[in-house]
Amino acid sequence: MSARGLATLLLTLIAAVLLSACGGGEDSASAGGSTRDATLVDEDNDGLPEPGPGELLLDRTEIAPAAPLQSEIARIGILNDPQIRDEESPARVPFLDRLGAPFTTTFRPHEALSTQVFAAGVNAIAAQEPEAVLLPGDLADNAQRNELEWAAAVLNGERVDPDSGDPGYDGVQRADNPDPFYYRPGVDAPQQPGLLSDAQQPFTPRGLGVPWFPVLGNHDILVQGEVPPTPELEGLATGDEAVERLDEERLERLDVPPDSALAPQLVQNLLAAGRLPGDTRTIPADPARTLVAPQEATDLLRDAAAASGADLRARAGAPDRLDYTADIGPRVRLIALDVVNRQGVSRGVVTPDQRAWLAEQLEAAGDRWVIVSTHQPLDSSVGGPEVLELLDAHPRTLAVVNGHTHSNEITPRDDYWVLSTASLTDWPLQGRMLRVLETRGGGAAIETWVVDVEGEGLAGKARELAHLDAQGGRPGGDRGEREDRNVRLFVR
Amino acid sequence: MRAALADAVRRLRAAPGRAALAAAGIVAAAAMLGAGVTVSYGLTTGFERSAQQADLPDVLARFGDEEREEVEERVAALPNLEQRTYRYEETSVPLSANGESSEDGVIHAVRGERRGYAILEGRDVTADDLDGAVVERGVAQEWDLEVGDTISSGSQISWEIVGIGVSPDNVAYPLASSLRIYVSGPALEEAFDFVLPVNMALLWSTEPERTDVLLQQARANSYGLSDLRFITREGVEVAVGEAAGIVIALLVAFSIVALAAAGAMLATAAHADVQRRLGTIGIQRAVGMDRRAVAVGFAASGAVLAAPAGVLGLALGTLVAAGPTGALLLTLNELPPGGALVGPLLLAWLVVVAVVALASGWPAWRAAGRPIVGLLRGSEVARPRAARGLSRGPFGLGLRLALGRPARLGGTALVLAACTAVVTLMLALASLLVDLSDDPASLGKRYELTAQLDADSAPDVRALPGVEAATPRYELDATASFQLGQPVRLIGFEGDHVPFEAPPLADGRRLDPDADGLPEAEVGAGLAEALGLAPGSTLAVQLPDGVEERFRVVGVVRALDNDGRVAYVPADTVSQAADESAIAVKLTDGASQAAVQAGLIDLGAADAGEAEAATTDDAAFLATLAALLRAVALVNGLVCLYALMQALALTARERRGTIAVLRATGAGRGHVALLLGGVVAAATIPAVVAGLALQRWALGPATADLAAGYADLQLTAAGAQAAGVAVGVALLAAFASWWVARRTTREPVVVGLREE
Repeated sequence: MSARGLATLLLTLIAAVLLSACGGGEDSASAGGSTRDATLVDEDNDGLPEPGPGELLLDRTEIAPAAPLQSEIARIGILNDPQIRDEESPARVPFLDRLGAPFTTTFRPHEALSTQVFAAGVNAIAAQEPEAVLLPGDLADNAQRNELEWAAAVLNGERVDPDSGDPGYDGVQRADNPDPFYYRPGVDAPQQPGLLSDAQQPFTPRGLGVPWFPVLGNHDILVQGEVPPTPELEGLATGDEAVERLDEERLERLDVPPDSALAPQLVQNLLAAGRLPGDTRTIPADPARTLVAPQEATDLLRDAAAASGADLRARAGAPDRLDYTADIGPRVRLIALDVVNRQGVSRGVVTPDQRAWLAEQLEAAGDRWVIVSTHQPLDSSVGGPEVLELLDAHPRTLAVVNGHTHSNEITPRDDYWVLSTASLTDWPLQGRMLRVLETRGGGAAIETWVVDVEGEGLAGKARELAHLDAQGGRPGGDRGEREDRNVRLFVR
Repeated sequence: MRAALADAVRRLRAAPGRAALAAAGIVAAAAMLGAGVTVSYGLTTGFERSAQQADLPDVLARFGDEEREEVEERVAALPNLEQRTYRYEETSVPLSANGESSEDGVIHAVRGERRGYAILEGRDVTADDLDGAVVERGVAQEWDLEVGDTISSGSQISWEIVGIGVSPDNVAYPLASSLRIYVSGPALEEAFDFVLPVNMALLWSTEPERTDVLLQQARANSYGLSDLRFITREGVEVAVGEAAGIVIALLVAFSIVALAAAGAMLATAAHADVQRRLGTIGIQRAVGMDRRAVAVGFAASGAVLAAPAGVLGLALGTLVAAGPTGALLLTLNELPPGGALVGPLLLAWLVVVAVVALASGWPAWRAAGRPIVGLLRGSEVARPRAARGLSRGPFGLGLRLALGRPARLGGTALVLAACTAVVTLMLALASLLVDLSDDPASLGKRYELTAQLDADSAPDVRALPGVEAATPRYELDATASFQLGQPVRLIGFEGDHVPFEAPPLADGRRLDPDADGLPEAEVGAGLAEALGLAPGSTLAVQLPDGVEERFRVVGVVRALDNDGRVAYVPADTVSQAADESAIAVKLTDGASQAAVQAGLIDLGAADAGEAEAATTDDAAFLATLAALLRAVALVNGLVCLYALMQALALTARERRGTIAVLRATGAGRGHVALLLGGVVAAATIPAVVAGLALQRWALGPATADLAAGYADLQLTAAGAQAAGVAVGVALLAAFASWWVARRTTREPVVVGLREE
């Protein structure tokens, strides 16, 4: 060893001793939970998030002035877009990821760890002691039955076997895949040998232990969140042939639409044929990868939620729609709207029937405070603005909670708040808590704070990878601004 | 302690001649140390120091021309990114200034706050500086340019030189064939109302140790960028080192060896001084001084002597070596250490003082433990057993006198052996450097010519008279795919590469270009060490077109090229993306190289030059190296001469009575010189033998290993060199004998007889 090497080693040892003496290092970095106590930041921008100071609640009074808080009337957890994915599935298009926006969600460096991250998110939210948990969509990533089942198992604390096909990892991140546009944990930086095989191991999560209320998202029933299942796609998903690398010439010829809204059409065109042109590889077929029809998905979610104690009162005459109401305590009513476009594409659609049903439910809610939840934001959904106008007119509307955007954002509407929360898919991998309180004078307030997923084990590694992802939520600003996270929102 | 120091000063004042002699030895050894420190510190830290001063980015990404906004969108998203800036590089631009011109100019249109080069004189170009340019130091020196001069491109465009800059991302002009200037990108855009594309991104990591994660994300986010190449600081160092890296490594290794030799000399000189003063120790002990006080006294007098002598010697060595070292650094676009050298020199000075104090105190401590009577009688004088069988003439008497002081003899022999070894090593080094610049075989190349011809021309080349074999050769600089900071040079020959280029195989076997499965590769030991490769493992290489090529390592070769970070691979894996492709031409024995070159030109070769050797053959660069070696040789020769003269002077002084008797019986200066020759021969003969052996079996291999453990470097002196060194030492010995005899015989005989 050279003198310089020796000196470096000694300094490293000294630093390690000092760090352990100070109680710093891994333990602190792996902390999750309420960001009111501590939150993960990367102040020095070295790519490694570290615990930063907690963020106290800020008062937001754009709608109503601050008023003295009285009793708590509901305590609700929110977990958004876990997008549990069967990353070994042949019905995926990860090779489009390299093209950049709008395909950046087709591959993520930590995608093999979605069940573990979701379980860590569930644990973090459960530790906040909610009485109910709202899941505003995209429990699954690719409309596969096994993905939805894994998600439900995580929520209910049942054994999860996240491996599909034959035992062991067999996806695009294999070390022997010579495609450098995928992060391969066994060989690429930061090297994580054994990560993929560990990710395939069955585990039994703790579960929420409280009723949970799902909202249907586009990824739950549309392949890649864009394309309705077809027999061809079903064959692709359950077949034994996977495209690993799209034919390079074809990839270069792809006419990527400048308008990202048109990109789904491109995905649809690629997938619709049921067979993708490119380098294919034979893989073990797995019937559990079967694609779910909307009816199957809603049935599965209703049954699983019922097992948690949730009482989902469905909209009459629309069994394949996950529209329902539910009371969270005596003073708060949840109305869930399923705005997924059955014809495909990720943009939401609100039908006239739904709007009418919503109007009835608002009326029926009486003097309960109402929280409306959709997956896609209403303001960008077809028919959504009209729904917002309907809500504007209802004096007990407290908040609209949506998913889909993967970012923390809180905006005031006339007399209520619209809340988006970061996803469990992209950095910052956070959930949210809502604490509803009545205020003196008959108003209400929401205390809300974001919650970091627990950072132990595989979820911690996923968090590190999600933070590094140059196409993920870090550069995308998904953490939001200060006023989008821990705030006290006053209504009337 | 103060009393001991005062006593030491008194003792030195009492015998000023002796003190001066001892100090001369320390000066010589310290000079050696100073030269070694200057060379090794200056060269080993040169790149890092210059990179820091120039704010060299952690990653330099080159790609085809792209819109800046497009690149910025991707780069801004990277993790661990502290800052970034972009450049547009235009190559092959005609440049002229001060009566000089070149068609190989490179203009960098720069922007942003961080530039990646250091301004040595003048100022940097600003965003609105349309008429200003910064020129590189190498260009400024070669063309004798100053701030305020004008540099032009063609007859239309000219810039005022506003600054002289330097960046260690390449060697300096003219060692580098192209010359570079920096102009303001924003000013060009403003003046000509257009948006410059960019083709370089300079990235600074927040945490340089985690640059790999930045690179990994950069690669994943780079689809569509053409001809993308990442070069990290380490890669730049390797690339720059290609011209002189092995030379620097050898010089540094040589300096380290010289440092060790200087240490040994210091210790030996101090030790010999104590041996000479054993009588004094006996007297001190006889008058009741305790053992510790004796040792401290000697250590103190050694330290008192070494402190100023060390300063003088270190200054001398630094002065001698600083010029050539600075010139070498300039050639490499690196900066001299300047004030940063003070620290290492101070440390060296402390080492000098400590070594002399210890080497004086320790033998005194040991000697003081002996019986006082023995000390007073001079008990180190051996019984004359070894003298039996020796000649009885003056030469033989000299031998016997030398053997009578075995400790001194051993010390002198040790110093001479070290000098001999270092000088021989230096000569071997010089020969090796010549080989590295002249002889392609130093890279394992077995072909003599390269012709810039299409691969299809190979059959025509083979048909030329005097050509034994010819095959296309491809070369491509890429990066290791699993460790993107590590540079890799891929070399591919069509067919079997062994007849054309085959560094020695250290492990495994030669590659089979037609093997099934993953293509096979022989990797250099440098690459194997950097990436942890061995036969059976996988080498993954990121090619500029975004493709990852994988190879099965079947052999490890001791290649010198590119710091050993090379891989021999089948030609078809690199032929498409290769940076360089040419026909390697092997000549038949006795064929005329010129005739074959003419034939190649007739075939349409753009160039038909000799195969490249391991380092540049730039005359100025080699002259600088020669100057550096001469400087070290000069200091080393002084040390050698000092050791000889010190030994002789001491003997002559101690044996002045014996010499006086000889002179009284009719012996002349020649006899005295012969006697002293016997004294010096007793030390020189074994020292030369030991020195040559030391070089051959210890210092040579150690230096080669220190410099380039990944390659086979032969640092063994040739027979003629060894003989030359032996003769040189003999001449020094003869000179020393003559000189001391001359001084000794000036003294009246009666003075010596009185002492007897």
